[in-house]
Amino acid sequence: MKKQFLIACITLLSFTAIPFISQAQTAEKQAIIKVSGEVSTPLTIDAAFLQKFTQTTVTRKDRDGKDHTYSGVILSEILKNAGVTLGPELKGENLTKYLLVEAGDGYQVIFALAELDKSFTDRTIILADQVDGKPLAPGDGPYRIIVQDEKKPARCIKQVTAMQVHFVK
Amino acid sequence: MHNRTKLYLSLKKLPRGKGCVMFILLAFIIILSGWSYINNTIETGAYNFVYPANFGNRIQIPADNPTTKQGVYLGRMLFYETKLSANNTLSCSSCHEQRKAFTDGRAFSPGVDHVLTSRNSMSLVNLLWGRKFFWDGRATGLEEQASTPLTNPHEMGQSLEASAKKLSQTPAYPALFKLVYGDEDINGNRITKAIAQFERTLISANSRYDQYLRKAYQLTADELKGMELFNNAPQPDKGIRGANCAHCHGGVKTYMELFHNNGLDSIPKDAGIGALTGLAADRGRFKVPTLRNITLTAPYMHDGRFKTLDEVVDHYSEHIQESASLSAFLRGESNEPGGQSLKLLPREKKQIIAFLNMLTDSAFINNPDFTDPHLLTTKTKQH
Ligand code: HEC
Ligand code: HEC
Repeated sequence: MKKQFLIACITLLSFTAIPFISQAQTAEKQAIIKVSGEVSTPLTIDAAFLQKFTQTTVTRKDRDGKDHTYSGVILSEILKNAGVTLGPELKGENLTKYLLVEAGDGYQVIFALAELDKSFTDRTIILADQVDGKPLAPGDGPYRIIVQDEKKPARCIKQVTAMQVHFVK
Repeated sequence: MHNRTKLYLSLKKLPRGKGCVMFILLAFIIILSGWSYINNTIETGAYNFVYPANFGNRIQIPADNPTTKQGVYLGRMLFYETKLSANNTLSCSSCHEQRKAFTDGRAFSPGVDHVLTSRNSMSLVNLLWGRKFFWDGRATGLEEQASTPLTNPHEMGQSLEASAKKLSQTPAYPALFKLVYGDEDINGNRITKAIAQFERTLISANSRYDQYLRKAYQLTADELKGMELFNNAPQPDKGIRGANCAHCHGGVKTYMELFHNNGLDSIPKDAGIGALTGLAADRGRFKVPTLRNITLTAPYMHDGRFKTLDEVVDHYSEHIQESASLSAFLRGESNEPGGQSLKLLPREKKQIIAFLNMLTDSAFINNPDFTDPHLLTTKTKQH
């Protein structure tokens, strides 16, 4: 009698536990990008944050040799939101600042701030979250830098996880 | 000189008696021998790192731990010091042996409690350029890294406070710490700093590959072919055969501080960086380790699953396991048009291994500056 009761209890318990276990497995964290360094407001970028900005598209050829349309937010707009010295402030020693972008695999590339600023260049550099109207592939996204017209794709860094603004030492 | 004045002062404080005389004599001998030993053999001053220009100068030395010759010496003493473990049996060198390029030949290593580590011991080489340590890159500096094996109950299992206390009671150490830090205070911070200083000196830059790069060695036909396969991505439509290893393991140091899922399992037992970030993209993502001295550091991978380089190359050629977090660099790379895996020929596999053999640096594993200094002292004492 006792034994049966025990078994019943365990079965009941395991049923109630299942939703929790499966929840733990599916509760996957969403990727974010931390913006830090020489900023007045450090940012944590996620999908909702990017929606607050005007969306811009850039078309560039991928390794497959075909044109693809990437959409996202102009990088300098995000940096301005963090209080980075762009626009009229980008002069004097601020011209020795750079943006270091890091990917989930540890890969890093840099851009001089002047490369990102509209008063210096018309070339558009965006933080993309979509390609041809669809979210980026897991290996590329959720966020990727797209540099308009740059011949090599090496700075179109994938799986972006962090952006830091620094002075050269 | 200071030691003598101190001894004189302590004489006055001590109670009189036979035991006391013996004690003073003993203390005198210990202090004097420690003092003369230090004065005779330890070089002092800034440590000058020597490495080839093509390694680059992106070296990592924290401002609060400049490298000195005396600091490196103390760190070397500590690296081989079993007193830093709970039962005085293990030192760093138990799992990081010089002759095995600072690995231990085991898949997992037993700690003081005989429980095995959960991952494979890593080669300690060219750490001067490293920024993230461990298989999952969780330690951001060598100083921080060192406290983990010291205090982990399944490794050396002793608090830094207990280690500091033991060293304070061990001849030579108080004087050594004074030589390095200006006073005899011994604490965890000073212990890990000195160990990190020693680790930064573990530079390997004289393998046959290094010699080839500085035009002091002529490649054999197989080594040349192996190097090409290692460096090239396969492009079957252009008739270029490759294994694309350099995409992750490239550069003159064969280490680029990248973290990838190299297709060992579809559902990894150990999630690697994924366990830290909780991100799907990081599941089974691990440090791309250096290939320097790779013939000496078997077994391979974070869990030591492969015993030989043949098994490793077979893995990349035929057994990459698909998963959502598999590195894009390993996806759809093939030497056959439309192929799903590298499909290297048996001869090509041998050639890649011939290239990997070139990465062994015998000057590094025999460098007398990296050996156990405790053995040296006992040796000189015996003479
Ligand atoms: C019981 C075996 C053991 C002992 C003792 C041990 N280690 Fe390790 N070491 C390991 C293992 C296993 C790893 C990988 C652990 C991981 O990634 O979680 C490792 C990793 C490391 C790394 C990282 C290397 C890299 O490229 O990221 C360093 C540095 C290191 N150990 C230094 C030390 C020092 C210094 C000591 C002594 C204070 C020490 N180890 C003692 C087993 C050991
Ligand atoms: C996508 C990046 C990537 C590519 C390309 C790659 N590797 Fe690796 N390699 C890794 C990672 C990551 C590990 C460690 C994986 C682990 O333990 O989970 C590793 C581990 C190894 C190891 C074991 C090292 C050790 O100390 O245990 C060897 C040997 C090795 N790779 C050789 C090669 C060869 C040869 C090639 C080309 C055929 C190659 N790799 C291509 C990422 C890569």
